[in-house]
Parts: sequence; C-alpha cells; structure tokens
Amino acid sequence: MSCIELKDIRYSYGKKTPYEICALDGVSLTVKENCITGIIGHTGSGKSTLIQMFNGLMKPDSGKVIIDGEDIWEKPKEIGKIRYKVGMVMQYPEYQLFAETVKDDIAYGPRNMGISEEEIVNRVAQSANFCGIPEDVLSKSPFDLSGGQKRRVALAGVMAMDPDILVLDEPAAGLDPRGRREILGGIKRYQSESKKSIVIVSHSMEDMAMYCDRIAVMSKGKLIMDGNCAEVFSQRELLLSAGLDVPEISNIIYALRNKGISVPADIYTVDGAVDAIVNYVRGNKNGI
Amino acid sequence: MGFDVTLGQYYETGSVIHRADPRAKLFFMLFFLIATFVAKDVYSFAFLTLVALISIIISKVPFRIVLKGLKPLFIIIAFTALLNVFWVKGQTLLVSFTVIPNFWRVDVYKEGLINAGLMTQRIVTLLAATSVYFSYATTPIALTDGLEKFFGPLKKIKVPVHEFAMMMTIALRFIPTLIDETSKIMNAQKARGADFSSGGLIKRAKALIPIIIPLFISAFRRAEELATAMECRCYRGGTGRTRMNELKMKFRDYVMFTLGALTLAGVILINVYANGYKI
Repeated sequence: MSCIELKDIRYSYGKKTPYEICALDGVSLTVKENCITGIIGHTGSGKSTLIQMFNGLMKPDSGKVIIDGEDIWEKPKEIGKIRYKVGMVMQYPEYQLFAETVKDDIAYGPRNMGISEEEIVNRVAQSANFCGIPEDVLSKSPFDLSGGQKRRVALAGVMAMDPDILVLDEPAAGLDPRGRREILGGIKRYQSESKKSIVIVSHSMEDMAMYCDRIAVMSKGKLIMDGNCAEVFSQRELLLSAGLDVPEISNIIYALRNKGISVPADIYTVDGAVDAIVNYVRGNKNGI
Repeated sequence: MGFDVTLGQYYETGSVIHRADPRAKLFFMLFFLIATFVAKDVYSFAFLTLVALISIIISKVPFRIVLKGLKPLFIIIAFTALLNVFWVKGQTLLVSFTVIPNFWRVDVYKEGLINAGLMTQRIVTLLAATSVYFSYATTPIALTDGLEKFFGPLKKIKVPVHEFAMMMTIALRFIPTLIDETSKIMNAQKARGADFSSGGLIKRAKALIPIIIPLFISAFRRAEELATAMECRCYRGGTGRTRMNELKMKFRDYVMFTLGALTLAGVILINVYANGYKI
C-alpha cells in the first residue's frame, strides 16, 4: 500500500506576467493509506492544481511530493512510472474517450503499461464490473453512450491500470442523484475490496460526508483543515468562512442545538442524526 | 499549461495606443507595412526601427514581452537571413568556399550580408510593430470590429464582410479554449500512461490519436452548441444588427492616422534624398 506526502508545495500560474496567480501557497498534506480522502474547497481554491501534483502532471515551484518514501521529482525521467502508481481521473473524463470500442478505451492505459493481452481482458472485465458497465456495452462505440455511461467508461479506464492510489477530480459532477450514487458507491465498493487509497475532489458536502473517511479543506491555495468527517464538519464557522457549506443535516443539528436540544454537534449523516434524535427523545422520556 | 502563446495575446496597460480606434491602428499599420517594403537602405530602416521603438514605449508594453512574442519566429528569421547571405550575388566578393568540389561552391558577397541584415530588420520591426498594435494593444473583438468597418465598403459588391468578421471573432475567441482543452486532454492521456515524446515518427504520430479525436469531437460539439445559442438569440447575419459600442474616430485617432502617413512619407523622402531615387 502506498501513501502520498506533500511538503510545503507552492505553485503559481502565469509566472512573470501581469496575470500571475498563486494557486498553492505552502500546502503540506499526507494522504493516508487504505481510506477515502476527500478534498473540498471553493472554486479556484487550488484543489485541481493540488491533485495534479500527486501524479507529477504538474511540477511544484517549490516543495516536495513524496510517494512511498521517494521524492518523485528526483528522477524526472521516471515520472511515467509514478503515473501508473497514482491513477488519475480528471474532471469531466468523458471527453477523453477516443477508441473505437469501449473495451479498447478501457484497455488503453493497461496497454501503455505493457501488460499482456490475457491480463488486459481480465482487468477490463473487472473494472467494468466495478463501474457498473454492462457487458453488452463493452463492444459499443464510446460515442454512442449517454453522458453518465461515458463517465463510467473513463473511470474504468483508469481503474484498469490498477493503481495503488486512485485520484478522482469531481467524479460525480453534472450527474443526476442516481448517477452520483452509482458512481460514488462503485468507488466505495472498490475501495473496501481493494484496500487502496482513494482521493476524491468534490463540492458536494453530502457526498463527502457519506463516502469519505478523511477530509482536507482547501481555501485560497492553503490547506485550512485536515481530519476525519466529524472533526471537519463540526467546525461550522471555519467552513462557512471558507465559502463552503456544511451538509444539510448538520444545519438541522445546529438549529436544534440553538433551540436548546442537546444533541451532539459532530453529526454529519442522516443516519447519525436519526440515532441522535431518537436517543434524545428516549432520554427525555426516561427523564420524565 | 505548457503552452506559451504570446503572439496574439492582449496585454492591458491602458496606454493611448490601447484606447485608440482600431481603424486608426489599421491605417497606421497599413502605412507602416508599405513603408517597410518601400524602405531600401540603412537610413530608412533606422527611421522605421525608431518608429517601432517609440510605438513600443508609448504602448507601455514591456520590451521583454515583445521579444518573447518574437522568439517562436526566430528560426524563420534566421533562415531568411542565411538564405540572403549565401544566395545573393553582388559586386564585392568577401569569402568563397567549396562545399563539394566542382559541384557546389558558396560565395558570400558584401551585398548579401547587407541584404540579410536589412531583411532581418524588416521582419523584426514589422512583427514587433504589428504585435504591439494588433495583439498587445487591441483586443481581438476590437480588431475584428475595426476590420469589419474597414472593409465595410466591400458590402456594396456583395462581399459578406460581417460574416467574415464574425467567423474571425469566433475563431479568435476559441483559440485559448481549444488550447486549454488540448492541455487537459493531454494531461488525461498522460495520466493513462501516454507517451508523446519518445519513439520514431510513426509511433509519435500514433500517440497523437488519443488527443486529436477527443479534441475534434469537442470542437464540433462546441460549434454546434454555439450555433444553437446564437440562433436562440435570433442571430441571422449582419443585416439590421446594431452595436453596443459604436466605433467613433476621435481627434487622437486622426493624429495616429496622420503619423502613419508621415512615416510612409518620411521613408519615401529618405529614399529620394539619400539614394537619389526619382519619384
């Protein structure tokens, strides 16, 4: 199992022009193994730039990216190997499909890695299964599919490379609620079966609360919070000041607490809230 | 992003040249263009270089930026200069050396050297001035608006001037979008282990397929969406279309026009007096 360690990463766009923007301003972050880490932040907070550091698509201006104890920029020529280790699904990945059939598109990554054809067949079937792609779709053209299906094919294409760490940039953006559940549920299932590290970038607090084990919060190029869901979502003020929301259910809990109903503050899922409220009601009854 | 497209990039400084009417800039550059081709000797080129330098200073665009924009064209400039050095025949032979005995001999004449120098000067001043007037100091939209007005009279002979201008505006508008898109797709395929920089010519060409296909598809998709959006807003060509910002020539624009004319006149005069050409 692998983990990623970022040390004091800095990066600016448009250096030495009047349009210079500092995207990352000294970010240090450790992505733990065997869990789903969520990265949240407002638009332009540097999330997408940050994750492109993970697999060496971008080189930091300063700071170190350490994967399995090795600085990835020590040998720039071997950066390709890092990309097999850290699989990345970019934003709107459905626009990167190109092959004649879905099967070939999923096989593109593994083929670049030089994996044998028999093994590729296996991997294509496996990752298609995780992403919920039916077998009859595999021999269709990717351009005949719906948007949601294309998204899954793109996701399967990266999963088929069997990376140690899987990084996903807004995997559920622009999908309907059902599509979101299916994609994110597939990722969660993949994680619990493979025990790999997964990083998800998203705007949606609900999704993050539901699927992530740990959460890192970015604001204006800085990492302002890093911890488990309860730790992060209980810091309501800080999240709101970063232009973010808390999950809807946390708002309800907050309102209840303001009315003097003593439920715990660190609740961020509907199930948790139901339990807490039931406990509270029962406690009251027993009290009487 | 890995792409440095400085030629064709607006650089805001708010100078007089930035605010001038695009038509005035077009006329000025037209005069300047004719002047560079009329120019024949060192004096007139010195004069034109001076005009270009003053333009850059007035536009307040840093020299560094202008030079950076010229960098991609360095090879073309160097090639033109070399051609002139080796192939122009003249009176004064400087060096002569044999490349392949009895077959290929290269003579370098003094005239060739001068010609090469002047040619380089011609390209550099022309490019520097054009990039300052048209890309750094004029937004693409203003430029196409200016062009539309400039060629407006051609509408009388049924040339679809407005449509051409609109096509140009759209093309310019989508250059950064497509560049952005290309780098995104490249990144996505790199993340899937694509390698664009090793192997032979055929292998490299093949490696481009995963970029070109998605790029074309997204370009067509964008074109279709744009066409629909324009139709939804009742776009039906230039007839009867009004503008939000009407172009209006002001005093300073007439001054710029006059200065352009004076530059051309200056070069012609230098030609007449220094070289004794007859008008």
